[in-house]
Amino acid sequence: MKAKDIAKKNQVGKNSILKEKSIVSLDSLSLTMDTVYKIHSVRNLTDTTYILRFDRNNMQFEAGQHITLGVQGDNQTREYSIYSTEKDPFLEVLIKEVDHGMVSKRLKKLSKGDVLNVDGPFGFFTIGSFPAPGKKYLFIATGTGIAPFHSIAGSHNSLDYRILHGVRYSEEAYEKEFFPNNRYILCTSRDSTGDFTGRVTDYVRKNPVDSDTLVYLCGNCDMIYEVYDVLISQGLRSDKIRTEVYF
Amino acid sequence: MNYHIVTLGCQMNKSDSERVANVIEEMGFTWTDNEEEANLLGVLACSVRQKSIDKVYSKINKWNKLKNRQHLITFVSGCVLPADKDNFLKSFDLVFQMSDLPEFPDMIRQYGVVSPFSQQIQNTKQNVIPVQKKKFHPKPEIDLSQIKLNPIGISRQVTMVSRPEEKIKDFWHVQPAYQSKFEAFVPIQNGCDKFCTFCAVPYTRGREISRPSEEILDEIKTLINKDYKSITLLGQNVNSYGLDKKGNEIRFPELLKQIGEFGKASGKDFWVYFTSPHPRDMSDDVLKVISQYDCLAKQIHLPIQSGDDKVLIKMNRKHTLEDYRKIIHSIRKILPSATIFTDIIVGFTGESDEQFENTRKAMEEFKFNMAYIAKYSPRPGAASSRWTDEIPNPIKTERLHILTGELVKHTLVYNQNLVDKTLKVLVTGQDRKEGYLSAISEGRIVLRFESENTDLIGKFVRVKIHSATHYSLEGALAKEKVVENVES
Repeated sequence: MKAKDIAKKNQVGKNSILKEKSIVSLDSLSLTMDTVYKIHSVRNLTDTTYILRFDRNNMQFEAGQHITLGVQGDNQTREYSIYSTEKDPFLEVLIKEVDHGMVSKRLKKLSKGDVLNVDGPFGFFTIGSFPAPGKKYLFIATGTGIAPFHSIAGSHNSLDYRILHGVRYSEEAYEKEFFPNNRYILCTSRDSTGDFTGRVTDYVRKNPVDSDTLVYLCGNCDMIYEVYDVLISQGLRSDKIRTEVYF
Repeated sequence: MNYHIVTLGCQMNKSDSERVANVIEEMGFTWTDNEEEANLLGVLACSVRQKSIDKVYSKINKWNKLKNRQHLITFVSGCVLPADKDNFLKSFDLVFQMSDLPEFPDMIRQYGVVSPFSQQIQNTKQNVIPVQKKKFHPKPEIDLSQIKLNPIGISRQVTMVSRPEEKIKDFWHVQPAYQSKFEAFVPIQNGCDKFCTFCAVPYTRGREISRPSEEILDEIKTLINKDYKSITLLGQNVNSYGLDKKGNEIRFPELLKQIGEFGKASGKDFWVYFTSPHPRDMSDDVLKVISQYDCLAKQIHLPIQSGDDKVLIKMNRKHTLEDYRKIIHSIRKILPSATIFTDIIVGFTGESDEQFENTRKAMEEFKFNMAYIAKYSPRPGAASSRWTDEIPNPIKTERLHILTGELVKHTLVYNQNLVDKTLKVLVTGQDRKEGYLSAISEGRIVLRFESENTDLIGKFVRVKIHSATHYSLEGALAKEKVVENVES
């Protein structure tokens, strides 16, 4: 229980037996022992995109899962895919600052040593949830939707995968050097500096996907809907498609 | 001193309210139906729809006016979003999470209220709670009488259990004040890890935590020994029961099996239901166990939410229509007599005519016995609230009516097929029609039959069905001794 939850208010009537009008302080009632997640660093990738690195505290997760994250003491949290790999001694998330966002802007202002509110891991957007030994994987992401694939690729070294990353400009190809060149295809829609000029949807239309491929989609819902339709039209069964919608 | 609770929302809240009621009654309060006679007024809130939250504000505005003429404390608990909690603090005296219920007597005392219970403590001059000691788990070092004498501001003496797992365990130790003598809800888990985009439960109740199976079985055995006839296992995703314990707890099929074995050995006659399962975790193992035990009711409530794969993606349901279809086929094969209920949302953000039509087709295909159809409304806190709610209300209403029309096509056919059959039913109360009693079949189809013998309430009887409507049956008492069910 949080003590502010038992706060007293001043609307007590004149005949009320409630005499006190003070507010019980938060610390006085709740002595929490929850794990502390301290920030190691904030790594800016663009003006609006950054990576938060913080304590892992031995959290066991499967690459592709997400956590909920917020500023300690603030009751707002958001879900973020884990960006770091299963092998890393820390946790990382890739965050795009959202206009009028209640969490992403506050998180960006934090610095080393600040404490986060973390819960998880959650989710089923993992390789283990749909094991298919020897299969080919195609990962398709837009923007920060690359995060779970960064974790998956770094955690499963022997995975036979290719990744399509759709961004507007090539500077949004966040840490693309992490991926081997022969596996990473950058699609840029607003300039021609990527491996392919156009949206990921255009790329998939021009490069039909083999029906044996397992396709993982992560990003905004419009992209997922469009690519989903293209894949189905190319003969891929819906059970070969896994999705993680960002919002 | 009197209390009154308003419970909004789902069966989980109703179950929670039974525990809240017991805690309050142990403090010496007595239930009153009349809010204006109450000294303690509470609401168990629901965050599924904005309408429910609006009701909370409506209540507290009314209750705060009562404070001018009566001694009154108000509280709110249940499913409350963080943002709502901040607002509620401006109007309610106490706001607490359900998992903090065991500490509720302390909160009341710290508030400086002389209740029959706090007087009792002061008189005993003991450092432990003399009533319900086992249930509330007070810390022995706390001198509650001192806290009572210094109502506000010395609360450092109260050491709260910190971890959600520990807190919810304490909550489950609270004995419920069952509202019925023959039907009971038994919570088996709390919280949700699924993060459906339309739902705020992960933010109001936290992550999934399974209740220890020993406690569940103990509660069920106690109820059965008291001749309860209908028990519903409750959880946001009952069939993911045990998964959070990573091998240190039995899974849902095994839990059902142990309940079934107890039922078989007890020689008692009762039905056990569960709600709600999630399609992603529904396995043939669950269905096979149900098929093996008479006490496990042949009724499955399996929310589909939408019949369109893309809407399901946007809802983050983690299942496809085909996945759902396979489960329905399994139910029909393994449990041919089972009735199937579902939940559906119409007008979810961006739902096109074509996508809605896929839902209608799914209803046509699956022939549900009941569908709880809701028009989508965004809830602040749920992920989908960040998307535009662009489907106009008249279209949502039209879609709701279309699906309702689809539902009743099948329910009428199903119900008419029961005419001239004799069903084992549980008598639940007096019907609105004078001279009739209400009852429910194993498949949870409601019916009524002519009888003024209220001694039958809470008992199984046999009723021969002579007429059917879209949603109900009517029949005549065959004889009071129960026999084999022939609902299929």
